Amino acid sequence: MAAPCSRMASRPLWQFITNVRRTGLKHTGVRQISLGSACRAATQTRSKTESVASPWKLYGAVCLQRLPVISQERNPIEDQFAELMHQMELERSLLSDHEQRLLEDSERMTRKQADNYDSDEEEADYGGQETITAQDQEDTWEQKLKHFQPALRDRDVGGTPLGSVERCLGDSLVLLVQQTVGKETIWLLPQAQWEAGETLRQTAERGLSSLPEADFKATFLGNTPCGVYRYTFPKEVRTERCVGAKVFFFKAFLSAGSATSQKEPFLWVKKTELQGYLKPAYLEKVDRFILNL
Amino acid sequence: MLSCLVYLRNSSPLPLIWYVVLHSFLMGVDGHVSQGPWFASVLTLKTSAPLRAEPKKKKKVDPRREQMVRERLKKKLKKLERVPPELIPIEDFTTPAKYMDETRVRGAAQLPFEESERRALLLKEWSRYKQTQHRAEMEAVGLAVEAQREALEELRLESEELYQAALRPDPLLFPFNHQGPSYTPPKAQYEAPEGKYNNITKVYTQ
Repeated sequence: MAAPCSRMASRPLWQFITNVRRTGLKHTGVRQISLGSACRAATQTRSKTESVASPWKLYGAVCLQRLPVISQERNPIEDQFAELMHQMELERSLLSDHEQRLLEDSERMTRKQADNYDSDEEEADYGGQETITAQDQEDTWEQKLKHFQPALRDRDVGGTPLGSVERCLGDSLVLLVQQTVGKETIWLLPQAQWEAGETLRQTAERGLSSLPEADFKATFLGNTPCGVYRYTFPKEVRTERCVGAKVFFFKAFLSAGSATSQKEPFLWVKKTELQGYLKPAYLEKVDRFILNL
Repeated sequence: MLSCLVYLRNSSPLPLIWYVVLHSFLMGVDGHVSQGPWFASVLTLKTSAPLRAEPKKKKKVDPRREQMVRERLKKKLKKLERVPPELIPIEDFTTPAKYMDETRVRGAAQLPFEESERRALLLKEWSRYKQTQHRAEMEAVGLAVEAQREALEELRLESEELYQAALRPDPLLFPFNHQGPSYTPPKAQYEAPEGKYNNITKVYTQ
C-alpha cells in the first residue's frame, strides 16, 4: 500500500481524515480504492521486473520417456501366486461346454469298446453321423498355433547399443543427450534457453526439435513443469545480472514412429542407469519425477 | 265405403295424394278421425316420415357426439401408452439357466493339510509383498508431486506471466491414447489373417 500512503502524506491532515472516514463508511469505496492500489502496485512491480531482470537464466528441458513395450518378467513370488490363483479358479469353476463335450466323447469311446456295445442304439441317438470329437478339434488348434511364430521377448541378449530405442523393452527409458554447458560437455536432458515471448513448454519443445539428426514425435503432458534444477554459475562467470540458471523440466511420452537413425549423441537409459551419466546434484532433482512405474 | 278402402289398402301402394284425400274425406265425414282405433293408427302409420320421402335431417348434436366418442378413445389410448418403458435387462446379472445344471459341477478334490497350509502362507506373503509395493508407489508419487510444487514455486518467483501460462490446462492432451505393453513385442511387417465374426449381442430399444 505504498502508493496511497505517499499520496495521503502529501495532502493536509483534514483531507486525510475525510478520506479515512469515507473509506471507513463506504464498502464500495474501500473496494475501489483497494483495487486501484493493487493495480498500481502490480504495474509498479511489473515495471520493476522489466527494468531489473531476474538474475536467473531460464531453461526449458524435456524428459522424454519411451514407455515399456512388453511386460516385465515375473518375480518368483509373483510366479507362485499366479499359479496358485490359476489352480484355485480352476477348482471353483464349473465345467465348460468344451469340457463337457470331451467327457461325453470319452464316455462314448468307452461304451464302444465295451463288450455289450449296441451300435444300433447309439446310432439311433446320434443319427449315424461322423462327428468330429472335441479332442480332434483341440489337436487341430494346437497345430495351427505352432505355425505362428511370435517375436522373441528377450531380443537384446545380443547387446543392443545404448543409443537404440529398442533396448530393454520391458522398462521405460529416458533420453539423454550430450550438450556443452559452460566449459564442459556433460550428459543431461535436452534443454534450450528461454526466449522472451514464449512459454516454457514451447522452449522445451524447441529444445527437443532442435536436436541434430533426430525427429522424435512426443506428446507433452500438460503445460506445468514437473521439476526444477537451480544452480549458480561459478564465480568467474557470475555477474550482477546472471547469478545462475533455473532449468524447468517437462514430461513427454515418445509416441510411435520415431527416428531410427541415431548416432552416439543420444542415450536411452533406465532409471537405475542414470547414476552413471548424470551429475549428483542434477540427478538428485531429476530422480524425483522420473517414475519407474 | 269401408270395404272399398280396405280393398284399396290391400292393393299396391297408392300415391300420396290418395291418402291425403282419404284422410280429408274421413275427417270431413266425422270431424275427427275415429273410424275405429285400429284404422286410425294404421292411417297415421302410413303418413309417417319414411313415406313423406324427405331426406333424413342430420341433427347438429351428432357430429359433436362423434367427436366426443373419438376423444374418449384417444384418451384411453394415451392412458395405455403412458405405461413406463420396460427396463433393459442387464444380461450379466442374470445367471443363464444352463449353468444351474448340476452335471456341470467339477468333482471337489479334497486338499491335503500341507497343501492348504502352503496356500495360506503364500497368500500372506503375497499381501506383504503387495503392501511394500504399494508403499513404494505412493512414496514415488509423493516425491513427484513435491517436485512439481517446487518447480511451480520457483517459476512464480521468476515471472507471474510464465506461471499463469503453466497453470493453464492443455486442451489438446485429452483424449489420450496409448497402447500398453503386451507379452511379445510387435512383429515387423506382420499381416494379420483376415477373418469374420457374427456379432450376436442383443440390442434393446426402449
